[in-house]
Amino acid sequence: METPVTPPAMGFAEKLMSVKRHTLYLLLIVATSVPTFFSITLPNKPDQPSIDFFTTVMALPEGSTILIETDWTKSTRGDSMGQMQALLRILMRHNIKFAIYSTADPAAPQVARDTIGRVSEERRAKGERPYVRWEDWVDLGYFPNSEATNNAIATNIRKAFAGKTEVPGVGQPATDVFRSPVLSHIQKVGDMPLLLVVTASKTFDIIVERLYGKVPLAAMVTGVMGPESTVYYASGQMVGLCVGLKGALDIERMMESGVNNPPDKPVVVNKKNPEVVPGFPGDDNEGNGKAYYPTLHLALTLMILAVIIGNIGMVLTRKGAKS
Amino acid sequence: MNGFFAQVIPPSPFNAPNGSAELWTRLVIALLLGVAAVVALMKAPVSVRKPVVAVSTFCAGLYWVVFFLWPRPVNRLPGDMPSGLVDGVGFWLEDANPIVGNLSNVLSAFLLGLGIYSLLRIHGMRVIKGHKDAFFSAVLLLGILAMGVFGYWDWLDKMSPTGPSLALEANWAFQNRVRDFLFDGLLQEMDAGMFSLIAFYILSAAYRAFRIRSIEATLLLATAFIVMLSFMGLVTGLLDGVIDGIKGTADPGFLDNFKLTEIAKWLRATVETPSLRGIDFGIGIGALAMGLRLWLSLEKTAVSS
Amino acid sequence: MQYGDTGWIGVTVTLLLVTFILGNIFRAKKGKDLYIRRIAGLNAIDEAIGRATEMGKPVLMVPGLGALNAISMQALLIFAHVARTAAKFGTPIRLCCADAAVYTVAQELIRDVYASEGLADRYDMDSVRFISDRQFAFAGGVSGIILREQTAAAFFLGEFYAESMIFAETANSVGAIQVAGSTEKTQTPFFIAACDYVLIGDEFYAASAYLNREPVLVGSLIGQDWSKVAIMATILLGALMNSIEMRGTTVFERKDGVLQPIAERPMKIADTTFTHLFKPQRNPEEDAKIEREKDPKFDAGAGEGGGE
Repeated sequence: METPVTPPAMGFAEKLMSVKRHTLYLLLIVATSVPTFFSITLPNKPDQPSIDFFTTVMALPEGSTILIETDWTKSTRGDSMGQMQALLRILMRHNIKFAIYSTADPAAPQVARDTIGRVSEERRAKGERPYVRWEDWVDLGYFPNSEATNNAIATNIRKAFAGKTEVPGVGQPATDVFRSPVLSHIQKVGDMPLLLVVTASKTFDIIVERLYGKVPLAAMVTGVMGPESTVYYASGQMVGLCVGLKGALDIERMMESGVNNPPDKPVVVNKKNPEVVPGFPGDDNEGNGKAYYPTLHLALTLMILAVIIGNIGMVLTRKGAKS
Repeated sequence: MNGFFAQVIPPSPFNAPNGSAELWTRLVIALLLGVAAVVALMKAPVSVRKPVVAVSTFCAGLYWVVFFLWPRPVNRLPGDMPSGLVDGVGFWLEDANPIVGNLSNVLSAFLLGLGIYSLLRIHGMRVIKGHKDAFFSAVLLLGILAMGVFGYWDWLDKMSPTGPSLALEANWAFQNRVRDFLFDGLLQEMDAGMFSLIAFYILSAAYRAFRIRSIEATLLLATAFIVMLSFMGLVTGLLDGVIDGIKGTADPGFLDNFKLTEIAKWLRATVETPSLRGIDFGIGIGALAMGLRLWLSLEKTAVSS
Repeated sequence: MQYGDTGWIGVTVTLLLVTFILGNIFRAKKGKDLYIRRIAGLNAIDEAIGRATEMGKPVLMVPGLGALNAISMQALLIFAHVARTAAKFGTPIRLCCADAAVYTVAQELIRDVYASEGLADRYDMDSVRFISDRQFAFAGGVSGIILREQTAAAFFLGEFYAESMIFAETANSVGAIQVAGSTEKTQTPFFIAACDYVLIGDEFYAASAYLNREPVLVGSLIGQDWSKVAIMATILLGALMNSIEMRGTTVFERKDGVLQPIAERPMKIADTTFTHLFKPQRNPEEDAKIEREKDPKFDAGAGEGGGE
């Protein structure tokens, strides 16, 4: 009978290099759960793309209509829901009408409607006028082919959404959306002061390809899509860009403090334009951006530590092997 | 020429009033003609099929090529008539655009039916034959049925001109609650759950893969650290605050270039963005070449045969 | 496409690239031997299939999440080659599709590959399957297949988004050899971190030419390379011209396509020749002068919208 061979005990360096993945997962769960129990406020300085995005949206004429392509679902709610929530708060406070449509995911319109409903209920609870479907916003639906749809919008927006109907109110039949107060005055896409895309996929690429030059464009994208979308902001094809969770937090902070405000000692400085943009101080401005920012810190810290530990283990192992 | 389009007045052989019996008759005839064409193509010998496929592929792509190249009408107002041949063709191309776009939307809807057929066939056979894990196949089939039934029922309620406003949850009936549970309660949360797994995988991949085995790997790691730290407001506040403390009130100063946020911005603007753009050029040209080969039926590989 | 001002340049550049590609296709058809550099990920295909055959485990192929377009067609072309090799070795395959159109094409393609090798009896209809068009349902389904069937080789080629990390790590956890390539640049880093071989950028499009060596494909690849050289030359020329021009001053400003005199000031990026070439402007006043007759049957109250 053979004597069982006991493997030699792992050295410290080898242990550092062989941390089990389940241990890492457990540490991540613990780290990201901490902010759930403790409210933590962290400093944040908004980036210039977010500042441009905020000032553009704040400058929209009251009562005007914008088009929002909403291409996110709850899978990216960490980034996109906070961005959408902040955007809707600004639009509703400035009485700006909007029409939403989606081209990336069939579930996207429902998720957007749910978010609009929540922000509207928030207003109702504060005694403010809630946003009413048909009067203040319409849902144009989901279109599977993004290139063709955006091409059609660029060519003729009325034909692109021809046949789309909504129910104006209880007891009324489904009516053409272009009869609603939201879209009745829109003949072409250029009649709108802005087209926004809130997306987790590359639909902003398609928007820029098909609609640049026809209408001012801005985007709210997830952190992962940030590097790809920055090129369009840098070239001037987008007037503003809000990237990821930090972008959502930037918007929330600017909603509270404004931009170049107060003029003598501004909290957020717009290097491109000295115009003062007052925010909504004291109002309900906080959202997912503030709630999830500490989690982002802890997760990134854990990742950096894991990489450092792995590399220390590797360096020590190599030194041990040499000696 | 514009009578070809369904959305244009006056009525023509290709359009009819919305919801009329005339429209339904023409739809049924078109459907039967389409089925007949498909059957004829299936029965045709390969030597006939290939040219038919090549010609239809060419015609389908030709519209978009001509749409790209042909001068678009400028300052076109509602009710305008074209001022010449070039303008006339431009008008036709513009009017056709939403309709051609809708063709692809309709095709996608029909193709989804094919996918559902595949699912029903595979999982239906598993349930009927009592394969291992047939229970999960049954759950899938039940899920397809439930989502379809309750989703459509809920939509009918929402589009109905009668009945209470469904904007208030208090007015929801059984079917609305079930649809909400299936969609918001199950589907969306499971989507979010699966997406959250990525965080765990990124952590284990980073721990395993980010090792300084070479100079390039070290450079990669250093830039990754800088960019990750720049996302953390606490860290940038502290480190940039040190620079601000050293340079005093001078604004802007040379020392600003050493702020973490400035270094990260430089990396993104000068290194990352041009690299991505370079890859984009390659991918775009590759897609153009692939599209050209498919459009002109130049592909002589397994796909075309 | 508007040809006003410098709008013609976009069309000219596109037609030039098309000429390069078609010209080189015809050149290659004439029998000219054209060189393609080595691509590690594609050389590893045979090694990966061989490993799967030894282990008696299936080979997994995933053409991504996209609809039936150039990217998924390219992925299927590569998978046809993989399937041919797997058919010869008798290695089972799993081709998981997220789009119904891609699924139908893939099914036909794989069946034809087996038939052309004389191995039609080895073809299993259920080896090509449609999982789901929902991103994470697809990710869950494919991950389940990887874990249950312990695939020994995995090929992830096509349009991938967030689920790329899930696939790569799951396949890594079962010890599969992985070859990946995504046209989504933001997913390439995830594949690089987790996969053995990665095709970056247009190496993905070069793959079919590399594997098949068909003259059409090789010629097309050379044409793409010529196009890239042309673009690089344009970028270099533009950078040089902008750098020289911006050192000077200007007394004109282009507004709405019309040169207007202004007080002398330093040149801005918007004043340079290259910016003007690639950013054409239209004059709305000139456009408004274009008049057309009205259709006598048109009803202004019907509200049909105009174009641009």
